[in-house]
Amino acid sequence: MTRVTEQQLETDRMILNFGPHHPSTHGTLRIIMELEGETVMKAIPEIGYLHSGFEKLGEDLDFNQYITITDRMNYLSPLCNNVAYALAAEKLMELEVSKRTEYIRVLMCELSRIADHLLNVGMLAVDLGAMTAFLYGFRAREDIYDLFEIATGTRLTTSYTLVGGLMRDIPDGYDKAVLKVLDEVDEIANDIETLLTKNRIWHDRTKNIGIISKENAISYGISGPMARASGIDWDIRVNEPYSSYEDFDFDVAIALNGDVFDRYLVRMEEIRQSINICRQSLDKMPTGDVSIDPDFGFSLPPKDEVYNSIEGLIYHFEVTMPNRGMNPPVGEAYVATESPNGELGYYIVSDGNRTPYRVRTRPPSLINYSIFSKLIEGHMLSDAPAILGSINIIAGELDR
Amino acid sequence: MNHDDIKSNVLTTTLESAINWGRKNSLWPMPFGTACCGIEFMAVLAARTDISRFGAEAIRFSPRQSDLLIVAGRISIKMMPVLIRIYEQMPEPKWVISMGACASTGGVFDTYSVIQGIDNFIPVDVYVPGCPPRPEGVVESLMKIQNLIDKEKLSDYALSSSK
Amino acid sequence: MSLEKTLSQIEDSFSDYVFGLTEFAGEKIIHINGQRIIDVLKIFKDAGFNFLADLTATDNLTLGGFERFAVVYHLLSHASAERVTVKAYVPEDNPVLPSIELLWKTADWQEREVFDLFGIKFEGHPNLIRIMNPDDYEGYPLRKDYPRLGRKERYDFPVIDRGIQKQKRTK
Repeated sequence: MTRVTEQQLETDRMILNFGPHHPSTHGTLRIIMELEGETVMKAIPEIGYLHSGFEKLGEDLDFNQYITITDRMNYLSPLCNNVAYALAAEKLMELEVSKRTEYIRVLMCELSRIADHLLNVGMLAVDLGAMTAFLYGFRAREDIYDLFEIATGTRLTTSYTLVGGLMRDIPDGYDKAVLKVLDEVDEIANDIETLLTKNRIWHDRTKNIGIISKENAISYGISGPMARASGIDWDIRVNEPYSSYEDFDFDVAIALNGDVFDRYLVRMEEIRQSINICRQSLDKMPTGDVSIDPDFGFSLPPKDEVYNSIEGLIYHFEVTMPNRGMNPPVGEAYVATESPNGELGYYIVSDGNRTPYRVRTRPPSLINYSIFSKLIEGHMLSDAPAILGSINIIAGELDR
Repeated sequence: MNHDDIKSNVLTTTLESAINWGRKNSLWPMPFGTACCGIEFMAVLAARTDISRFGAEAIRFSPRQSDLLIVAGRISIKMMPVLIRIYEQMPEPKWVISMGACASTGGVFDTYSVIQGIDNFIPVDVYVPGCPPRPEGVVESLMKIQNLIDKEKLSDYALSSSK
Repeated sequence: MSLEKTLSQIEDSFSDYVFGLTEFAGEKIIHINGQRIIDVLKIFKDAGFNFLADLTATDNLTLGGFERFAVVYHLLSHASAERVTVKAYVPEDNPVLPSIELLWKTADWQEREVFDLFGIKFEGHPNLIRIMNPDDYEGYPLRKDYPRLGRKERYDFPVIDRGIQKQKRTK
């Protein structure tokens, strides 16, 4: 038997098409990879498979109508998008909202953050072959869905905020329900950490994989947990507080290595901090109204007034008729908020009509994903799902 | 074997209903989840509304191994060729659930890049309303598909050899 | 260097290119000619605005402005937690401005997005191709003169029939 010579073993590079429909792409991503053996030499992400024209739609819907569209942009934490858009519109119109509104928004945002991170960690584990963490995480997520359903009426597409307020107040006894769920979440987070944090296989699959340096993170515009895992001490909730975040006492989770494992650690720590913030917001919940002054001219009147009094009905029509309603000032506003993925910004340009002139979302998913091709280079193919999972891409927000 | 043994051990039926019974209780769904409905589909899989109760928990992400396509989420003009290709790759007989408003009609996304209902281009058997539908709705649609399969007749199939 | 100082330095050194300085809702906006955008952003970057938070564009067809298109840069300084908006105007007949991909890598994809949706070209961009829409897409959907419902692109696909299960439905 002759030995195979080296010359005979020479192979070409292989082009692998990953997606757009692949279980670990979490939606609709497509990556074209050039492989040398099992090593990825080059990766070209191709996006846009879920481009739905959100921004064009924003030019046709009025300020309150567009809130329903913001839910569908980020379906892991829709309330954060609702709040961010409402904040941008309020900044444009220079509206002040009540303290209670702000606290409820904080509570909802933090619950969303918990739900998002639990799912993200769970999906990352599923992609690396550990199903249990996903099922645990989803159990807590279902409980949080229930909380959303109690407050907003739906599980996922909440549309809870209005420009200048909230759709409705939280019901009586809500705090007890939240506290119960928070205890469960705490327990489940413990369970997940017990399963993963000191797991040898988990370490092998996630440590030193997809390292983002501090310089690269800034150059690529990375924000949120990903940036904090690379050692950037920047959390919009602390550094540029919005919606009364300055009233809350919490720590910012930071890690230094910037690999997949650190991103996982940061997310788990953020779950703890969010639980803490939720508890504080329930403790300190101010009393008062959650809607703005109805005389202001564009918040819808309460439904029972619309159905039971002629004034309410007339007023409702006035607000919703095409040529009436809001008269925002001519101008533009950009508001950045800390969504579970990173800096979620809304940029609204108004020409004084009831519909915005231009609505732009600063999508953290898109900008965080842009570093992916750099991260995967030189890694094994099986690391691609790990890196993808740790970026936490939400296709709806990625493509808009 | 005596008469009583046969009576308690043998069941007579038609080939048709035996096949349909097998098919409807072992559907292999392929979720084509693109957006919000995809997340709700995950909830359908998870513990609370467990679709393995209906024999449909064998999720396959390869169209060649599945017979039920669940289109969950909006389909953009860039995605539609992919969906058509996946539908064509599925072996027959196959069924399609259009989950949610976006897949069924385009939903709120009446824009330049969203397909206004996948049934314009591929056949759909069951539509699930809702934006997104609750997991219970998806389970209901699965039961509807089972009913459809139950009523199917082998003689209805236009086999290529019988043409 | 504080934001005011930086702004006045830019006004002095690029006086021919600066259209004006406005403030709305507590945010400072500097309006400039798109041709010198790299130099202006470099000054901002040296002054501590190390983070390009967002890059987008607006079509000023009915809004009015210095030119038809404005490319909008939102800068953030991590050190001083300040934000500033830079609007670079580009004319309709020649919508071209220099790419800032060399300053911030994040501009790569965002400039592609602006190119895809507005048709503004970025000189010096390494890979300026469509990002959201299919490569054979015609038109730039976020321009104000593009209809929201598109130009029938969404109806342009083959219709697939039911195969062997065909008879089931026709009955």
